[in-house]
Amino acid sequence: MLAGAVFLLGGAAALMRFSRPGGGNGGGKSVGDGPVLSAEQFALLEQVSDTMVPATDTTGAIGAGVPEFIREMLGQWGSAGTREDIVSVLEAIQQQAWKRFGMDFQEMPPDRRLAVMKDFDAARIGSHDGPYRKFKWLVLIGYYHSEAGATHELRFELVPGAWRACLPLTEVGRASAFY
Amino acid sequence: MDFDAIVIGSGISGGWAAKELCERGLRTLLIERGRHVRHKEDYQDFSSPWELNNRGQVPEDEARRDYAIQSTSYAFNSATQAWWVKDSEHPYLTPEGREFHWLRGYHLGGRSLTWARQTYRLSDLDFSANKKDGHGVDWPIRYADLSPWYDHVETFAGISGNSEGLEQLPDGRFLKPMDLNCAELDFKRKIEARHPSRRVTIGRCAHLTEPTAEHIALGRGPCQLRAVCERGCGYGGYFSTLSATLPAAERTGNLTLVTDAIVESLDYDPGKRRISSVRVIDAKTNERRSYQARVVFLCASTIPTAQVLLNSRSEYFPNGLANRSDQVGRNLMDHVHGIGAIGSVPGFLDRYYYGRRPTGIYIPRYANVTEDGRGEYTRGWAFQGKGERPSWDRALDTPGIGAQMKQQLREPGPWQMVLFGFAEMLPRADNRVTLHESRKDSSGLPLLHIDCTFGDNDRKLAAEADRDASAMLVAAGCTNVRKLFPQLKPPGACVHEMGTARMGLDPATSVLNGHNQAHDIPNLFITDGSCMTSSSCVNPSLTYMALSARAAHYAADRLSTGEL
Repeated sequence: MLAGAVFLLGGAAALMRFSRPGGGNGGGKSVGDGPVLSAEQFALLEQVSDTMVPATDTTGAIGAGVPEFIREMLGQWGSAGTREDIVSVLEAIQQQAWKRFGMDFQEMPPDRRLAVMKDFDAARIGSHDGPYRKFKWLVLIGYYHSEAGATHELRFELVPGAWRACLPLTEVGRASAFY
Repeated sequence: MDFDAIVIGSGISGGWAAKELCERGLRTLLIERGRHVRHKEDYQDFSSPWELNNRGQVPEDEARRDYAIQSTSYAFNSATQAWWVKDSEHPYLTPEGREFHWLRGYHLGGRSLTWARQTYRLSDLDFSANKKDGHGVDWPIRYADLSPWYDHVETFAGISGNSEGLEQLPDGRFLKPMDLNCAELDFKRKIEARHPSRRVTIGRCAHLTEPTAEHIALGRGPCQLRAVCERGCGYGGYFSTLSATLPAAERTGNLTLVTDAIVESLDYDPGKRRISSVRVIDAKTNERRSYQARVVFLCASTIPTAQVLLNSRSEYFPNGLANRSDQVGRNLMDHVHGIGAIGSVPGFLDRYYYGRRPTGIYIPRYANVTEDGRGEYTRGWAFQGKGERPSWDRALDTPGIGAQMKQQLREPGPWQMVLFGFAEMLPRADNRVTLHESRKDSSGLPLLHIDCTFGDNDRKLAAEADRDASAMLVAAGCTNVRKLFPQLKPPGACVHEMGTARMGLDPATSVLNGHNQAHDIPNLFITDGSCMTSSSCVNPSLTYMALSARAAHYAADRLSTGEL
């Protein structure tokens, strides 16, 4: 019942474009044997994460440094298998863009990007796809555990100092970013 | 004689033994095999999520290569990595197909830094269990023997909890309990109405809700509800060796601390019937040296304590020190783990909580206590759990992206309730730790071989508890109730290993007497988990504290009268 409304709302919100810090396309940072992501892959990652977590009244994935975070994680944290998984997810998204709209994801207007990603996410989450779940986790932890995501979008207190067990949600405000 | 007393191991048991011995005026040497840790300075508890290495994640290849077993712990992350051994450097052997998870760290304070801080008293239900149903041997003590020592350690450690008046889970000297949240209160009302024989209470935990002057004098302060406990707590909000027993021991002026010293074996003097020296290997230089004292407390934790005893062979003890009974290394127990269920709690969507409470709810044992096990199994289980509202990570299992997802995730998700079972494991002689005949570890000590499996009763309890977890969630009105674990976790995974040098009345069938004193060796005391004659179903650390303090005072009394 909400699905249609969700789609329209999401589509409208995603139309609000914003500028990218630095304006560059990221360029693959060299780690180990070679760049973790090619410049093209990084540009795709930027657009995909921006579509998944757009800037609204708060900053989005790009403002919170999510693409750079993911590139760093792939260099410092991810195994070769994880790097392959993440690249394969990006490639599958690109293929989906071509299949549906006949163009590169990065070339599409935001509403089309959102349409592609929304369906891609629904299908992959629905099928419990491991690589995509890992990718979505990277985007979300990259965002919600960033300083901006944790303290502006959600709520995080380094030292809560008290336990109040049962409060009106309105009094607490937003969800806690950190369990 | 260098010292009056030597304590081997600086975890919960060794820390307590050292504190009590020092406070009794004994010059005490505390030996830790791992590296030194500075309280506060060496913790990462003031790092925000975005400041942690890899957002708290240990690199996948490193975790797989070096921490294959340690990384299975919920408490393993990049901010706690220093508190875990590298499995690649500290291997042990298990038979094919019989996994045992041995989770541990080699550093000052041991697992007192990473423990889950749940603290419960054993009761006479536990101390008389072996005698009643014939498993294992009878405990040489009863609740009345330990009750004043539970009082003693609870007062010093600081235990928050609620008095419930239950015989199977005796009340203690509690600091103010932490409150149940809305979903938990509702769960409690419904479960207690449906099952008058069951109780839902707040988890008792070693956290300072209202520090006393004694706590404050040690530099400890109230728990700040951060729930990053396993990184170490600079506030001293929870009990650890570093926050509590070590500073208490140090301020007496009687403590000497040696780190990076791996105890290899104990020398026995058959003429005097005493431990004559403690042999150590320097972890940095591999040099060997030895220390002497009038009394030795072996608190290396269940598995290493067995290793040290088995490795201390002499003409007089050819099968290992204090092992005339052949019980050293046997009767290894854990709690049966990998039991539980989760469900969605309808309603309360306008309610939430503030702070990150470091404990959950507790459902004390009812099986074969207030409810009949119908003769199908002996002993029982308890549940821990919590009600909570998940945050952004629920989006990993729910389709949705974009501004709409952001908006939805600003609110916490619907309430859910989760229950984890902890079932008692029976002592069985063939669950045992032995030394490999030829293979050595990096220090030159014989490699440990751990052979431990769950028995029929253990599995029956687990199956019943698993069913009850789901049934209680359904009874409390939860929807979408599902089992949490497809199968039991391997023994060891609960990190409650115990039993390898059990207490008992008969020297022919046990290693220690009712004062944790080796039957054959008056100046050897063992007060870590290895002394446990049965496992109960409650978290065991508080009992190790009480037994350690009690044994230390017993030893100090005997030393002062010249009996030792």
